[in-house]
Amino acid sequence: MSRSGPPLVTGVAPKEGPPGTRITIRGENLGYDPKDLIGVKICGVDCLLAADWKSPSKIIARSGPGKGKGDIIVITKSGGQGTCTVGFKGYYVQIGPLQESAIWIDESQSVSSNLRHGRPSSPLFSKDDEDPLGISDEGNQAKFSEEDLLELFPEASGNMSIENFSSSWYLLENHHSTSFDDLRAGLAHMKRKAKHRSEGPIAFVKTNLSSTLDCLDSLQNMYSKFCTDDIRGEFINSYAVLLMQAKSCADGLFQEVLGRKDKADSTRNALSVLQRFKFLFYLPLNLQRNIQKGDYNMVINDYIRARSLFADTQVQVFRKVYKEVENQINEFRDMLKQKLMELPNSLENQKKLIKYLISLECSGDPAWECLVNQQKWLTTILLRCKEQHLQEEKESQPNGDVFGTPQKTSNLSRAKPGDSNSLKLEHGSSKFTNPQRIMYIEELCEILTYNLPDLWKLGQAYFSGALIVKEQTGEKAFKIDVSKHSQFKQMITDTISLFSNLVRAAFLPQTLPEKLSAEDKTKYGQWNQVIPGDWLPSCVRHIRNCVWSLSLLDLPGESPTVINDLAFDMRTNCMFTLLKQAISDIQQLHIKETWIVETDDESGGTTQLPALFENIVNETIQHLHEVVVQNKQGEPEIFGQRTVQKDSTQLCSELLQAFVPCLDCLAFTPVMAGGSSNTADDSKKRFSTSSMDFEEHSLQFDKRLIIMLSNCSHTMERIIPRLVENLNKHGYVEMNKALQTTRERYEELDSKLFEAYIEEKSNPIVGAIEQNMYRGRFDWKTCRKPVGVRNYLKDVIMKMIEVHAEVFAVSPSFVTRVTQKVVESVSEEITRVIECVTEFNEHGKLQARVELKALQETVKLYITPHAKLLEDLLNKYKSQMKFQMMCFYGDSLLRNSVSA
Amino acid sequence: MCSCIFLGNQKKDIMSKAKAQQPAVIHKVIMVGSGGVGKSALTLQFMYDEFVEDYEPTKADSYRKKVVLDGEEVQIDILDTAGQEDYAAIRDNYFRSGEGFLCVFSITEQESFQATAEFREQILRVKNVNSDKSDDSIPFLLVGNKADLEDKRQVPVEEAQQRCQQWKVPYVETSAKTRANVDKAFYDLLRIMNKAKLNPRAGGKSNTLPYKKSATLKSSNVPKLKADADEQKEIKNQQKCCILQ
Repeated sequence: MSRSGPPLVTGVAPKEGPPGTRITIRGENLGYDPKDLIGVKICGVDCLLAADWKSPSKIIARSGPGKGKGDIIVITKSGGQGTCTVGFKGYYVQIGPLQESAIWIDESQSVSSNLRHGRPSSPLFSKDDEDPLGISDEGNQAKFSEEDLLELFPEASGNMSIENFSSSWYLLENHHSTSFDDLRAGLAHMKRKAKHRSEGPIAFVKTNLSSTLDCLDSLQNMYSKFCTDDIRGEFINSYAVLLMQAKSCADGLFQEVLGRKDKADSTRNALSVLQRFKFLFYLPLNLQRNIQKGDYNMVINDYIRARSLFADTQVQVFRKVYKEVENQINEFRDMLKQKLMELPNSLENQKKLIKYLISLECSGDPAWECLVNQQKWLTTILLRCKEQHLQEEKESQPNGDVFGTPQKTSNLSRAKPGDSNSLKLEHGSSKFTNPQRIMYIEELCEILTYNLPDLWKLGQAYFSGALIVKEQTGEKAFKIDVSKHSQFKQMITDTISLFSNLVRAAFLPQTLPEKLSAEDKTKYGQWNQVIPGDWLPSCVRHIRNCVWSLSLLDLPGESPTVINDLAFDMRTNCMFTLLKQAISDIQQLHIKETWIVETDDESGGTTQLPALFENIVNETIQHLHEVVVQNKQGEPEIFGQRTVQKDSTQLCSELLQAFVPCLDCLAFTPVMAGGSSNTADDSKKRFSTSSMDFEEHSLQFDKRLIIMLSNCSHTMERIIPRLVENLNKHGYVEMNKALQTTRERYEELDSKLFEAYIEEKSNPIVGAIEQNMYRGRFDWKTCRKPVGVRNYLKDVIMKMIEVHAEVFAVSPSFVTRVTQKVVESVSEEITRVIECVTEFNEHGKLQARVELKALQETVKLYITPHAKLLEDLLNKYKSQMKFQMMCFYGDSLLRNSVSA
Repeated sequence: MCSCIFLGNQKKDIMSKAKAQQPAVIHKVIMVGSGGVGKSALTLQFMYDEFVEDYEPTKADSYRKKVVLDGEEVQIDILDTAGQEDYAAIRDNYFRSGEGFLCVFSITEQESFQATAEFREQILRVKNVNSDKSDDSIPFLLVGNKADLEDKRQVPVEEAQQRCQQWKVPYVETSAKTRANVDKAFYDLLRIMNKAKLNPRAGGKSNTLPYKKSATLKSSNVPKLKADADEQKEIKNQQKCCILQ
């Protein structure tokens, strides 16, 4: 122990720091125990109290208020005063006048001169602030001159104490050659500093505990000294004077700074006030200009800004201007409202306007008002449309035309689309423009399809809250949804019901509710004439299009039902009307018969009438299919309802049968009407020319009969099945039943015609037989030797050939049927006549036999079961005349052999 | 305690001798390297033969002592700097005042080895030396510390040596814990610094000269140093027999 020499400090960690830094001192001979250590001087300040002896080579101490670079001297009992090879650099974190510090700062250097001169100095900054990044790297590179920097940043400054401090300026001025990494490190350093600063007073006291305790000790000492000393009044007074002086000194020091700050604040206030002031005073003008320009968004934004700034202002001038602004905005609001109520208006436009109004916090509920208004408007235009068209129709009536005013000039351009030609021809309605009611329905549909979607969409937008500006969602939006939704639904339904009733009044007055008051009736309009069927399809088309477009909207409540019912009723009505129309058309067909027989191999000869008939039916079906039967999406099946089904079936079968009376009439009526004496002889004479005699309407009865027979059969065999098939294809039900009844009707007609014809044909032949047979006072008893078949039979055959030809000319397929019948009746007649003969002489017998045989041979092909009678007769005759026959038999053999 | 006194005595003799001569030459050495590689440990081991177990980040510590370098007494002034990036900004100032640099990395940490390149660049930049043609070569020594943790080695010796050849600087692997090569690192650097101070503008020739010379000098010096180390090792082993294990 005694050998220990003077202490030597060779290491210090850290080597610099502000007062209070914890320092590890290392070296030799730093005392052999804590008590041996009697002094630690750092930078000339004894820090023994804060020193902690660890080992002879290590002491941990805290730096005192020593300043600048100084030695660290350790003093031990055993070694005395030591030396050091390293020093410690104490520096003050120079404290600004408002910064906390645990130790006394000698301000004489920085402050006193200022006090003396009373001149303001620039604010004091701590050492850290002078180099906030902790990079004191000032290279040798040239710095930017202040002029250059001023040029770069005309509005800024590199002085951190000035408001327009620019970090870019600062970095360029002080660190323009520092690397990015260093700058980053600097930033980290600065952050750490800032964090340290924000730790607060507790941390501060902790780090400066010794100083704080020192202060307390000193205060205690002072207190006890004061207590022991007898303090005189003068003494106190001098203190007071000193204190007053110190106070005034401090005041003087700060007054100017504070005064300037106040001034700056007030200037800034004034500036900002001026800014607002300017904005507000320009506002009325700007608003007006923007309203004129239509830049409503701008207006609203300006207004909202002004409101937030000045709504609660107490300044008189501002109030006045703001009031003006308010007035303007009110006018603007009214204008917007008016615009909103102006109809028609596009949906987008309406939405925009409503949004504007809502953002302007308009009183009431503009969206709802708009909805109500639009619905009213829609109702009004629907009714007005009705009035107008009703009026026009009434005016047009005195002209004697119900269906439309003749406007020949525009006739061609206004051809009705898609109407069937045949129907048109019949009625000649193409001569006129569209009837008033068609225009009416068109307009109604147009009004509804254009306006209702807008109304509905607007309503939906309203209820979904899309119209509510975001800020105002909440109770307001909530309220809207609950109270008005059903009301809106009712509005939509009302509109649609109105539309439906208007249409019904015009087209289906019978479907309107019966209890309707007279007032309501006039409201919906009373239309006198029933609309012609050929216009209905286009009406139906309009209605259906309208319904279809409305169904896309997904309307609420009963509305779709109402409108769909309307469409359905229109469809059924249209269908029935068209079918009835077709029936009457067909019944009128006989007028158009031209009697030109066109023969083809399959169907035999027909006139064009059956084809016309088929055309009418097919066209009607086609037309109906296009307009009525074909379902659009969401429409009910037209044949879905039992009554409709039944009626339609009934009508269809009537339609098919309608041709029967027509044919019937053609075949028989003109005979009665013409009253011409169509005798069998006439017909024979004119036979050759009849086929060309198409100009003449009063064709021979038999001719007409056979043509109609052909037509009928053709219709029955080919057209009817085709039509039924077509009907089935288009969804008409129970067509087989209709087919059955129709077929029966046609068969009936067929047989009627046939019988009439046969009668017509066979009567002359049959009637002539007996007469001709006995011509020339012929008698079987006095018959001479026969020389051949007599003329009467030839005549009969000729006549039959005539019939055959006639039938063949019209319809080869009838030949068999007709000829058979004729042959049968001829045969019957001959049989009858011959049977009536009481007595034959031999020649007579021979003659009869020859004639019968000849007839038999001729018409062998047409033998019928009835002809058996003749056969039987012949057999009988043979057996009777056996003997004679035998005799002839031999003769004939002989003759044959001779001739052979 | 015993050893301290013993060492203290031994050193005291040297000191008293040095004090009398008041050597004028002061070599300012700066310890650089990433945080936690053992700069302070090396310094303290060199200065006071002590190994500090607990880690306390350094800010900037200063040490100075007299050493006998090749029979000549010189003062070594060691500035132990902060490795943490927090203090990167204030490094420039320190580097400017430094004359020789011990650039330390940990062989168990590849990142620290990579960081040495950045440190060297920063030094050369502060010293205004072009790294490509090292005419004014800065006394610089690359130190791979923690050599006792061979099993955790991440930086191969070859890699470090290759970098040293590229930089034309010597490479030493040390262990502050076992004191292996600690003195060698410092003394080698001191010799280079000595040489550099003697020939301030050595030119192309001196480029290799200090290195070569140091190698020759080293051979003469090694036995003594080694003996020193061995002796201390023994002492330590007597005290605590677990240090080397």
